[in-house]
This record gives sequence, structure tokens and C-alpha cells, in this order.
Amino acid sequence: MAATRPLTVIDVYERFVKGKKVPENEWDYTIIPQNLTALKEKYKLKFEPGQSVPEDNETKNALFQAGLEMLSTVGFYCQDLGRVMHVTEEEIWEGIKKTPKKLILGEGRDIARFYPRHGNSPVKPIIQGGPTGSPVSEEMFIKIMQSYAQEAVVDDLVDGVMDTVEGKKAKSGTPYEIRATMQELRMTKEARTRAGRPGLGV
Amino acid sequence: MSASMVNNGLRSCDCHECSQMNELKVNTSFMNMIAGWHLSGDTIMIEQMPIMGGYVSSVEETAICDVAATLASFVLYNCDIHLDGPVHIRWGNTSNRECLQVAAHAARALDANTDVLLANQYYTIAGPCTEMCLLEVAAQAIVDTVSGRELLSGVAPGKGVLQDRATGLEARMLGEASSAACGMSIEAANGIVDNILHRYELNYHHAPMGKKFQECYNLDTLRPSQEYLDIYENAMHTISLCGMDF
Repeated sequence: MAATRPLTVIDVYERFVKGKKVPENEWDYTIIPQNLTALKEKYKLKFEPGQSVPEDNETKNALFQAGLEMLSTVGFYCQDLGRVMHVTEEEIWEGIKKTPKKLILGEGRDIARFYPRHGNSPVKPIIQGGPTGSPVSEEMFIKIMQSYAQEAVVDDLVDGVMDTVEGKKAKSGTPYEIRATMQELRMTKEARTRAGRPGLGV
Repeated sequence: MSASMVNNGLRSCDCHECSQMNELKVNTSFMNMIAGWHLSGDTIMIEQMPIMGGYVSSVEETAICDVAATLASFVLYNCDIHLDGPVHIRWGNTSNRECLQVAAHAARALDANTDVLLANQYYTIAGPCTEMCLLEVAAQAIVDTVSGRELLSGVAPGKGVLQDRATGLEARMLGEASSAACGMSIEAANGIVDNILHRYELNYHHAPMGKKFQECYNLDTLRPSQEYLDIYENAMHTISLCGMDF
């Protein structure tokens, strides 16, 4: 049956609220592994040793069908509601149609513009440089971020996580977490400005 | 919340990033963030790092899970880019043989059947200022590039848990290896990646922690040390011996 429209996160929340209650450990230890094993067998998936990247079309298409079926038959779990929501295959395809096919990160002369790279396109992927969530001290934060922003191959930035803010631990769920995030963003802005690329995306 | 504040918060053209939970799980806090960003027209990047050897065992099962989680990011949670990162439960890096295979198979499956924008992130087991770290980065960059990913994000050396052990030179290797792999045949890429993997995958038990940023760069000029530049050159030479034409 055709999908009425692509889903929004609000629709998804509504489905979770009305979804079936399932204990989290049953989801983790039974539902997920059993269904993945069944789909692996159904689609006869066996990756070739020595082939990091698949060289045949059959494997990648079978894997896609298995992933699609996993999402459409097993659904998704919401931890704090303890419930499962479901989505149809038609809704998945409708949602894929709605996804952006191109995107711009950053602003001004420092934008990173990218398009889908089907297969091994000769176009270089966007390089998002940064410590990718690694812990960074307050003292070194700007300098470390500047070391990425000044690299010619870097098109966009990803920041590290500041351990402390003004000497206090940036503990999750406390006001210090908010303060540390704000400071990270201010310092990242300073780093890209010092590198002469103030418009770089983050 | 702080990321969206008007003064010094993220711009709409920055990636507003949040993460699914392992495996195929979220919570309401995740959905609240997405709702705010989506209604504000912000760029949304959703992260999910399937754990190889956690609730899921084989490479094939982890890859199925990876495809399902990626589709969910777009279809259920309205993201613009999905940030992948299959990670090994024992080694904690994304650059091991099994996780490279998972990421590449998932990306090729999605690339062949959709137009969605795919990213991957880099966690090496070795720290900065070591050849092993740079080899790990290069192997993954080749795999991600030939499997059609649009954005490569990194690097978090030393599994991303060591303070101040990250520098711009690892990102330079990421970009240079990716550029060199653009347009390469998959068969050639597999051969080169296999050669590079053989150079580091037996060293996981004794992976070097490397050096802190303060020891890798001159803090006044912000230029990398001669020691690190030499290591970088040696790594490029090693990768060339493995078959890569820079």
C-alpha cells in the first residue's frame, strides 16, 4: 500500500507511544541477534575474506534488501518508553525520496559543497577534520582545532570534547555541560578565524 | 540546547549531531533534539556506530544492522547526513579488518540503491606521531572513498579516549589517501588495503599511544615538529610500497 506521506520525527514518536511494550534486554539479547541471523541466512550473505569492499553486485543488493527488511519487520526501540515502533517498506522508500541529494556546509568562501558520489567517483569526499569527540583540554582547544582548520585538505570541522570548563568537570546533565559546549563553539570559531577560514562549517 | 543558542551557537549550515543507541534504539531526548533542529531548518547529522561483537556477532549481521540504522536515520529521524562508524568491541577502533569490511559493504549497498549522503568516522588504535596511526587512517580512507561515501570525519587517535592526542596531520593523511583513491578500481583498492592492514593489524596488543599535541606541534608557530613530519613521510613511503600512487 502506498505511503500517505514521508514520516516526521513527530509521527515516529506517536508510533512509539502506541507501540508494543518490550523489555530492553529482550530487544538487545533476543530480538536483534535472532532477526539478524535469520536475515543473514535468508539472503545467503557471506562476505569474501580479503575483500574489504565487495566486488560483486549481488552481495551489495542482497545486503540492502536484508537491511531494509530488518527495519520494516523488526522496527525500532525507544529506551525510555520501553516500546517498539514499526514502519512499512513503502514508508521507507517515501522517506528516502525526501532526503537531500546535495548539501552545503559552512558559509561564504569557506563552504563545502557536496553531491552523491556514486561508485568510486573521481570527486574527493568532503574531509571533516577534527578530534571527533576525543577529550581536549581547555588550554589546547583553540590550537588543536586551528591545526585542522589550517590544513588544505580539510573542508569542514568536527570538534573535540572539552574535559573541563574553567577548571570544573564538564559533567553530563549539569549546567557545566551547557557552559562547556558554548565554550567549545566559541573556541572553534576563534580557531577557524585564526586559520583565515572563518566560514568553515562545524 | 546550548548548540542552538543564538549567540555563539551552531549556524544552520553546521552539522547538528546526535547519536542513535546500540542497536536500533533511541530515546525521547534524541527525538526532542531532532524535532527542534528539524523545525528550525538546521542541518542534521545522525551518528550510529554499530558494535561488532556486541549484541551482534558476525560481519554480515553487523552490516545488516548498519544498513537498517542508516535507513532509519533518514526515514524516521529526518537527518541530512548519516555518520557511520562500525567499531570493534575488542579493539575499539574503526580501522580493523572486520569493521572496514562492514562499513564498505554497508556503504556500497546503500550507494547502489539510494542517493542518501553517507559519512564515516575514524577511530584508530594507535596515537598521533606514529606510523601505525597514519597507516590505519590511510586504509580506512581508501575503503571509504572507493565505497562511495560523501564525507570522512576524523581522526580520533588512541580510540578517542586520550586527552590532547589529536592533531591536524592525521586529517592531512585522511585527505591525501582519499584523494589518491578517488577513481581507483575496487579490485586495486582491496589489494592495497590488504597490504596496509598486514602492516599494522598484528600490533593491536602493543599499539603505541603516540604523543600529545603539545609534543607534536610548535605551540607558537603551530607547525608540526620535524619528528612528526618525518614519520608522516615514512608512512607515505610505506603506503606507496603497498601499491598506492600518491
